[in-house]
Amino acid sequence: MMPARAGRVQMVVAFLLMLLLQFYVRPRLWGPRVSPDFLFVGLMLLALRSSPGVAALAGLLVGLAGDALTPARFGAGMLANTLVGYAASWGRAVFFADNILVNAAFVGAGLWVRDLLTLLLSGAGDRPILAEIAVYGPLEAVATAAFALLVLLASRQWFSVRLDA
Amino acid sequence: MASASDRSYTRRDTVLFFLCVGLSVVALVAPTRVGLGVAGALRQTVLAPLVWLQVHAEEGRTSRARFREVTAQRDSSSYLAQGLPSLLAENERLRQLLSLSRRLSSSYVAAEVLHQSTATDGRTLLLSAGSSQGVSPFDPVVSPEGLIGVVLSTAERTSIAMTWAHPEFRVSAFTVTGNAAGVVAPSLSAASGEGALEFRGVPYRDSVPSGSLVLSSGLGGVYPKGIPVGTVTGLVREQAGWERVYRLLPAANPGSVGHVLILVAPPSTDLAAAFPSDSLLQAQRLDSLLRERRADSLTQAARDAAAARRDSLARVHRRATPADSGDAPARVPPATGDSTR
Repeated sequence: MMPARAGRVQMVVAFLLMLLLQFYVRPRLWGPRVSPDFLFVGLMLLALRSSPGVAALAGLLVGLAGDALTPARFGAGMLANTLVGYAASWGRAVFFADNILVNAAFVGAGLWVRDLLTLLLSGAGDRPILAEIAVYGPLEAVATAAFALLVLLASRQWFSVRLDA
Repeated sequence: MASASDRSYTRRDTVLFFLCVGLSVVALVAPTRVGLGVAGALRQTVLAPLVWLQVHAEEGRTSRARFREVTAQRDSSSYLAQGLPSLLAENERLRQLLSLSRRLSSSYVAAEVLHQSTATDGRTLLLSAGSSQGVSPFDPVVSPEGLIGVVLSTAERTSIAMTWAHPEFRVSAFTVTGNAAGVVAPSLSAASGEGALEFRGVPYRDSVPSGSLVLSSGLGGVYPKGIPVGTVTGLVREQAGWERVYRLLPAANPGSVGHVLILVAPPSTDLAAAFPSDSLLQAQRLDSLLRERRADSLTQAARDAAAARRDSLARVHRRATPADSGDAPARVPPATGDSTR
């Protein structure tokens, strides 16, 4: 098997695992608003390894799935995930070092921005946005970043990240 | 494996990015009907296995919780049954009183709420019942506490409910005393606070005191009459000579609800009896307790009378026995009423 193809297979397996966690494990966890977003972790892992265009496409598909399940404003999740996926892949290629802690923080920050964009695009009021910025967003971002840290530690060979801070 | 510096920012990425953004914008500005149609089609096809997975996970979680609850109830009932048998029947009656599904006279479909990770969860909810169970758009969704929202669209096994937190939610309502009527809508202003409702269009001549319960009025043909919507907590604003707007504390919280009932009957039925107030429930419980206490006291009196009769007979028997044999003086035991109890 070619190394590039092996990498793609690993990525698909990791993404399927995240799907399983999102739809089978997440409902069994604590409050839905502050549980880790496994699907977003999958998107960010893909963005860390692929080109910005592919990350944008993956963001579109993840957003499409989210919008189909909670169509508060169809298209808001698609646009938010596309922008965050593209920016994550592009930003990592340009700015960020291959450091595991930086990458985990990157996932948390991406989730916070994604939720904020989704609320803004879906026309929420000012109070829900404030609550998202100040309470739910940071809590969910911390939970997601912690899970991303575990995933990166477990699969650092795949993602070529360093453990030194 | 390619390092970060090896990745190139190519024209293909730019084209792909703008294509994705374009598709997203088209979806965003498309009519709501189109968006809901696409979402429904996706839920029935590509996302069907994932929804199935989530339904089973949710059932597993709630089943565990229900099992623990039932086990705790059973243990409590068993414990009480050992000492106070009447309380077991009392518990059963209270459970019946609190069980909304038994009180509802109209047809309904029970559904799990499948909470999603998006920030807009709570404004729309994915429910685990769809058109195959008889659910159709505009069916009201309720919890034991009160109104949650209305079904927006249905697929075969799932449906989307618009909750009262959605900006487009409206329900015609009136106060339980019947002195004011208006329209309830979600409050999106900072002054009213998040998670609040507004009781709008109340005529200026009518004033509603704080604490008044607001029910759906049945007007509009969507929501049946008598479902609790919220409780008045204060005045938000008033337009002199025209209308008053009141702030409502919602009766039910869609963000934390895990199980709902979808009313599939025609909205002409009056559901006020299915949602008794707390004071009515308390009164029924007190009445029931009094009846049980009265029954217990009668039983105790009968038991005391039987004990006293046995005691009296025993004393008579003891007095008679030494006199017949003639070998010992009669000894009378102290006459204590509770000696045989």
